[in-house]
Amino acid sequence: MIISECRVSQWHLSPANEDLSNLPFRNFDSLALELFALQFQHNPGYRKICAARGLTPKAVNHWQQIPAVPTSLFKELELTSIPAEERTAVFHSSGTTEQKPSRHFHGPESLAVYEASLGTWFWSHFQSPASHFQLICLTPPPEQAPNSSLVHMFQTVWQKSGGASVLASRAPFVGLIEKDGAWTLDFEAAISVLDNSQSATGHPRLILGTAFSFVHLLDHLAERNLKLKLPAGSQVMETGGYKNRSRSLPKAELHALITERLGVSPENIICEYGMSELSSQAYAGSNGVFGFPLWVRAQIISPETGREVADGQTGLIRIFDLANVFSVAALQTEDLGIRRGSGFELVGRASLAEPRGCSLMNA
Amino acid sequence: MPEDLMDLNLPNYFLADLPPEATLSAPMIAEAGTVLKKNREKFLLPRKTGELVDLLCEVGSAWLRPENHFRQLALECGPARTGFSKAVLAKGLDQFFRRFTPENFKSLLEQELGHAERLDRFINGGLACGPKLLVHIAAGNLPNPAMLSLTLGLLTRSAQFMKCASNASFMPRLFAHSIYELDHKLGSCLELAEWRGGMANLESALFSEADCVTATGSNETIASIRAQLPVKTRFIGYGQKVSFGLITREALREETVAQTVAQAADDVIAWDQNGCLSPHVFYVEERGLVESDVFAQKLAVELAQRESGEPRGAISVEESAAITSRRATYEALAAHRGDLKLWASSNSTAWTVVFEHDVRFRVSPLNRFIYVKPVPDLSAVMEGVDEIHGLVSTVGIAASPDKTAELALHFARWGAARICPLGQMQNPPLTWRHDGRSALGELVTWIDFE
Repeated sequence: MIISECRVSQWHLSPANEDLSNLPFRNFDSLALELFALQFQHNPGYRKICAARGLTPKAVNHWQQIPAVPTSLFKELELTSIPAEERTAVFHSSGTTEQKPSRHFHGPESLAVYEASLGTWFWSHFQSPASHFQLICLTPPPEQAPNSSLVHMFQTVWQKSGGASVLASRAPFVGLIEKDGAWTLDFEAAISVLDNSQSATGHPRLILGTAFSFVHLLDHLAERNLKLKLPAGSQVMETGGYKNRSRSLPKAELHALITERLGVSPENIICEYGMSELSSQAYAGSNGVFGFPLWVRAQIISPETGREVADGQTGLIRIFDLANVFSVAALQTEDLGIRRGSGFELVGRASLAEPRGCSLMNA
Repeated sequence: MPEDLMDLNLPNYFLADLPPEATLSAPMIAEAGTVLKKNREKFLLPRKTGELVDLLCEVGSAWLRPENHFRQLALECGPARTGFSKAVLAKGLDQFFRRFTPENFKSLLEQELGHAERLDRFINGGLACGPKLLVHIAAGNLPNPAMLSLTLGLLTRSAQFMKCASNASFMPRLFAHSIYELDHKLGSCLELAEWRGGMANLESALFSEADCVTATGSNETIASIRAQLPVKTRFIGYGQKVSFGLITREALREETVAQTVAQAADDVIAWDQNGCLSPHVFYVEERGLVESDVFAQKLAVELAQRESGEPRGAISVEESAAITSRRATYEALAAHRGDLKLWASSNSTAWTVVFEHDVRFRVSPLNRFIYVKPVPDLSAVMEGVDEIHGLVSTVGIAASPDKTAELALHFARWGAARICPLGQMQNPPLTWRHDGRSALGELVTWIDFE
C-alpha cells in the first residue's frame, strides 16, 4: 500500500543515544501535512470526518489546521489505513469492561514505528542507560493482556533494554489478571524482585506501573508493615489514572508513599501520559510538566472557543503524533491540561467532572 | 465576607457571613446548635402556623419587588456567585416566590398534615411536631431547593442549620437575611455555614446536635452522610435523579409547534438545566405534521434566539470540556451517519441540540445540551428509558389534556415520581412531593392524644 512506500524509513525513529536534533522533525509542519494527505487518502473513516468539515489536504495549509479526531471515535469506528487482513494487533483503551473499548489497529510496520518511537523518548528520561536497570513491571505479562498498549510498551522497553534484564531469570511482569478481568499483583513475586536484601544483583530497579498498581503494592506493604530498600539509583515510572481499580490518591500523596515504602525519592519518580490511541508518550518529572518527543506536538485548546489557550490556562489536550502513521495523527483527547510552554500539566478527564448536586452528569 | 455583601451593610449574622479566613471549629458548630435550640424555644415554638405563613408570604412578595435590595443583590452579584445569568436567576426566583401565597401554603399544610393547624393544636387526636434542630446539607447546584428546605423547616417550627456546599451559600444567605430583616427573632433560629463536604470534625459536631438531617446531592454524598448519623437521627436523603420530556404528535401541529418549542426551550433554559427536574432528553413522536428533526431544528433556533436575552451562565472549564468533547464525538459521527444531526452555538458552548435515532436515554453534560430522540410510539420511549427505571424525577409532557392524563397514569405506574406539562419541569408547586415523598410531612413527628 502507498503508506508503506512513503519513505517509511523516515518515520522510523532512531535509537536512544542518537542526537534528536539531527532527526528530520524540525520540519514538523511539512511532515504533518504530508502524513495528513496520506491518511486522508487511505483512512476512509477519517476521510469522511475531514470531508464533512471541508478540511481536505488542499484546504489545510498548516499542521494546526489538520482535523483532530476525538479519541472517543476509536470506540465507534475503525480509524485505520491497515486492511483487516494485515492487522496483527489491536490495542484497547483500559476503560471499564461494560463500555465499548477504543480500538487502535496495528500491523508489523505500525508496531515498528510505535516501538521505535517509545524507546527513544522513554530512555531519555532516566538517569542511567537501560543496561544499568533491572526492570519490574507491575502489569500482567503480554500474553495475558494482548490488547494493552501499556503492557506492549513495557514489553518493548524490557526487550530492548538489553543489559540488566538478562540478569533477571524471568520476564519482569509481576501483575496478574483476576477472574473478573481486574489487574492485581503477585505480591510475593513483586517483593522478592524489589527487595535488595532478597536479591543478589544489586542493580538499581526501574519499576513501571499504573498508579492503581502502585496503590495495590503500597497498600500491601503497609498491611504487612514493610518498607523495602531498593538499591541506590532505583527509579519509578507511574502512569494513568485509577479507573476505580483502587482508592485514588492525589499524585503528591502517591509519590510520598512511594518514597516512604520503596525508598525512591520524588526526583526519581517519572510520570507517563499515554493512551492506546497514540504511538508516542509524554513524560513529566518532579515539576509535573509533561513533554512529548520532537515528532509530537501538543496543543491546549479552550473548550469554549476552540482556540489554543494562553500559557498557564486550562484546556483540552490535542495531540499531533507523527508516529501514528497508520491511524490518525491528529487526536482530540478528553483530558484537560494546563499549558506550560510546549508541554502541559495534566488536570484530568473532562468527562469525569464531579457531578453537581442532584442531577447526574456524564455517567 | 465578600465585598459585595459588606457594601450593603448586611449584619454579620450567620457563620457563612464570616470572612473566608475565619476558621470554623467543632465547638463553634456545637455552640451554634445549642443557641439555635434555645432561640427556637423562645421565639419560634410559640408562633402559630398562620403567623409563619403570613411572614413567609411577606418574604416572598418582598423578593418579587424590583426595588427589594435582596433581589437586587441576587441579580447583580448572583451571576458571578452562582454561575447563572441575571435573566435566568430572575425568572427562577420569580417562579419560586410567586408560589408563596396563603392559598398555596394552606394547600401544602392540608395535603401533608390533613389540616392547616395541625402544627398548632391537636386535631382529631393528632398533633404534628417538627424536629428541634433540623440540619440541611444543601447541594451546590440550585438555590431554590435550599430556600424551600428553609421554608418548610420554619413551618415546622424547627431551629435550622444549613450546611452549604463550598461557594454555594450566596443565595441561601440572602434568603436567610431577608427573613432576618423582617423578623429578627425568627432569623435567630437559623444558621448557615459553608464548608466543603467531608470535614468530619465539623459534621460530627453538627450531626450530634441534630434531630433530623436532610441532604441533597450525589448518591455518594447521601450514603456518606447516612453512615455518619446516630440511629436516633431521622434522615431524609435526596440522591441523584434524572428527567426527560415526551412530545406527542398533537403538540407538533403547525398551530401548536411554536408553543411546544418555546416550552421545551423553557425547560432547557431554566437553571441552565442543572437540576434533577431538568430534562436530559426529549422524546419526540415521529410522523407528526412537524417532523421530529424539524422540531429539533426549531428548538435549536429558539435556544439560539433566547441566548441573547437569557444567556447561559459561565461554566467551569471541566463542564465546558464535557460539552465540547460530547459535541466533537457527535459531529464526527454525523459524518458517518446521515440520520444524526447536531446544532450548536458557535464559538461557545452556550447551547447544543443533538438529534439521534438511538432511543436509549443519554445523560447530558447539561448546561443547555439537550438530546432530541424520535420515537415511533410510546413503547419505544419505554425501551429507551428502561435503564433509568427508578431514577426518574420528572416527565414533562406535551399532549392534549386527555392524552396527558393517560400518559401520566402510564408513567406513574412505570415509576416516575412527577408528571407535569412541558415548560414547567423546573417549576414545581409548593405541594410538590420531592422524589415522590412528602417534603413537609417527612419532617414531622406525630403525637397522638386519645
